[in-house]
Amino acid sequence: MRKQWKSALLGLGLVMPSFLILLVLVMYPVWSSIKTSFTGADDQFTFEHYQYIFTEPLILNNIRHTLIVTVLSCLLVLIIAYSIAIYLRFSQSTVARWINKTYLIPMFIPGVIAVYGFINFYRDNGWVARIIGEEYMPAIIYNVKGLLMINIWFNIPFTTMLLISALQSIPNSIIEGAKDAGANQWRLFWHFILPLSYRTMLVALTFLFMGIVGSFTAPFLIDRNAPQMLGVSMQQHFSVFNEIEQSSSLAVFMFLLCSIVGCFYIYSNIKESKKELK
Amino acid sequence: MAIKLAIQNLSKLYPTGEGVQNIDFHVEEGELVTLLGPSGCGKTTVLRSVGGFIDPTGGAIKVSDQDVHHLPPEKRPSAMVFQSYNLWPHMTVFDNLAFSLKLKKVKKIEIQQRVEEVLTLVHLQGMEKKYPSELSGGQQQRIALARALLLEPEVLLLDEPFSALDAKLRHELREELRDIQSKRNLTMLFVTHDQEEALSISDKIVVMNNGHIEQIAPPQDIYNTPASLFVAQFIGRMNFIKGQAVNNTIQIGDITLTMDDLYTGEVTLGVRPEDIHVADKSSVRIEARVDKMMMLGHFAEITLHTLIGSLKMFVDRQQLEQFELNSTISIKLVNFIVFKENGEVLSNRRMNVNEMV
Ligand SMILES: Nc1ncnc2c1ncn2[C@@H]1O[C@H](COP(=O)(O)OP(=O)(O)OP(=O)(O)O)[C@@H](O)[C@H]1O
Ligand SMILES: [Mg+2]
Repeated sequence: MRKQWKSALLGLGLVMPSFLILLVLVMYPVWSSIKTSFTGADDQFTFEHYQYIFTEPLILNNIRHTLIVTVLSCLLVLIIAYSIAIYLRFSQSTVARWINKTYLIPMFIPGVIAVYGFINFYRDNGWVARIIGEEYMPAIIYNVKGLLMINIWFNIPFTTMLLISALQSIPNSIIEGAKDAGANQWRLFWHFILPLSYRTMLVALTFLFMGIVGSFTAPFLIDRNAPQMLGVSMQQHFSVFNEIEQSSSLAVFMFLLCSIVGCFYIYSNIKESKKELK
Repeated sequence: MAIKLAIQNLSKLYPTGEGVQNIDFHVEEGELVTLLGPSGCGKTTVLRSVGGFIDPTGGAIKVSDQDVHHLPPEKRPSAMVFQSYNLWPHMTVFDNLAFSLKLKKVKKIEIQQRVEEVLTLVHLQGMEKKYPSELSGGQQQRIALARALLLEPEVLLLDEPFSALDAKLRHELREELRDIQSKRNLTMLFVTHDQEEALSISDKIVVMNNGHIEQIAPPQDIYNTPASLFVAQFIGRMNFIKGQAVNNTIQIGDITLTMDDLYTGEVTLGVRPEDIHVADKSSVRIEARVDKMMMLGHFAEITLHTLIGSLKMFVDRQQLEQFELNSTISIKLVNFIVFKENGEVLSNRRMNVNEMV
């Protein structure tokens, strides 16, 4: 019994430093934001800031805009990244080898630089416009289209990497066994590749959602002025309008949103590992 | 018997320059043929070409006289059992087994029946609801075999299916496989690098080396009359003694042997350890000193020091007492094979030491 206590204490001692740092750098700001979001001008407890963000049409619009952009970006990135990953996993062609060498490049270009490059490339009088003619140039910059495109650019490398590693961990003999049993391409995908990789897809989706919902640089530089993504809106409430309470309640709302996604992820993980342990 | 699988002049060259060439053999209906050879000799390449997972560079593969070249794996009349990761981890045993039947739109009741039947065949009744991760390695390979059997393949292909299992289990499964094979009159092509496995279960062994076939013969013949130095080295144990042939005599040290063939040049004499006997007084003998004695279960291995080199000799367990370390004995060679310098067999004969001089 005493030995158990000892090892328990040792374990606790080992996690303590990182836990304390977490407490100071993460928990405390979170707590103080939550507190601020419930504090009125008279230092009393109040719901008024939440009332404000959930009734003010401007902000409601921002929330809707954020959700739409996030969900759309997630879906687009997932579809594109999954297609690339499947192609790279199963093709030995030269093209595949080239994609394999290049798909990570966007990860190594700093965000702001990429965004400015993107703007130069696609704005109304940018390079593309000069090539195809300004009158044919669709509105991309200062438009949702541009935001979606840059989100795809930023998120494809990591998502593809995750998915490729998931697909590569499916042994060849499983796939060949399936073919042997008579599965055609479609069945192979539906009954084997998808079920054996959807968990990683959920992980990727979680990361994507959290990254995009709170993104700032790209929406700030590329998106329209209204409606705004919540990240931009928060920053404006905070530093332009100096409405710290409102921006805190927005932050808490976003935090809750991400928590829901996180819980969903953890839940599906637990369910899956239970199945494996059974 | 009808020829079930014919492999005709098959070749597969990888971009790296490795691969297989001139592969030519057949498997008759109800026969178990083994592809045997060292690692990297091309066994898997041949097997996967038959399964349709590799596109050969040349030659033909026929199943029941039908060229299967143009067929993708899912349409070939063959089924494959792999070394490992055979089972689909996200499906229960039942779903693993039922998958192909469902694709064929077999009725539910019949699926149930056939799954039960095949599970009984591999001694795993009642395991339907388990997931592969809940099975032992041996059980997994049994299920893999069952799954392949449900495909009712004309040819069953197995690529070292037991090599990841421990020796005891390997023996057990090997026997079970042989039972099932003969019970159901299955046609099988079995890949292994384990000579004991090949010798024990095969009707016919195809010995491969370095991308080509060295010999095709029943286990007995492979062992008794290897077609080349490589086969002799690879299968069983053999002593090799360098000698010099002049016409019909072979000179080894101060011993002269005669042979039927005429040849002049360097030769290698191959003698199996069990073909070295203690010589009686009348026969012409080779003097030998007992250097080492080792018990190997039901027989013992004795290392002898002689003028023609170090030789290994097998004797029965009971006879071991007659030998004494460092004592000198006389031996004779009752059977040997003569190989030319290029590894080809020159002469393969049973001999009596009396003939030797
Ligand atoms: N996809 C490939 N690309 C290039 N070379 C290959 C490929 N597959 C196999 N080889 C080469 O071809 C040769 C035969 O390989 P193969 O897998 O058929 O050998 P094997 O007899 O099955 O060996 P093992 O007993 O180790 O499984 C080897 O030298 C191997 O390196
Ligand atoms: Mg192999």
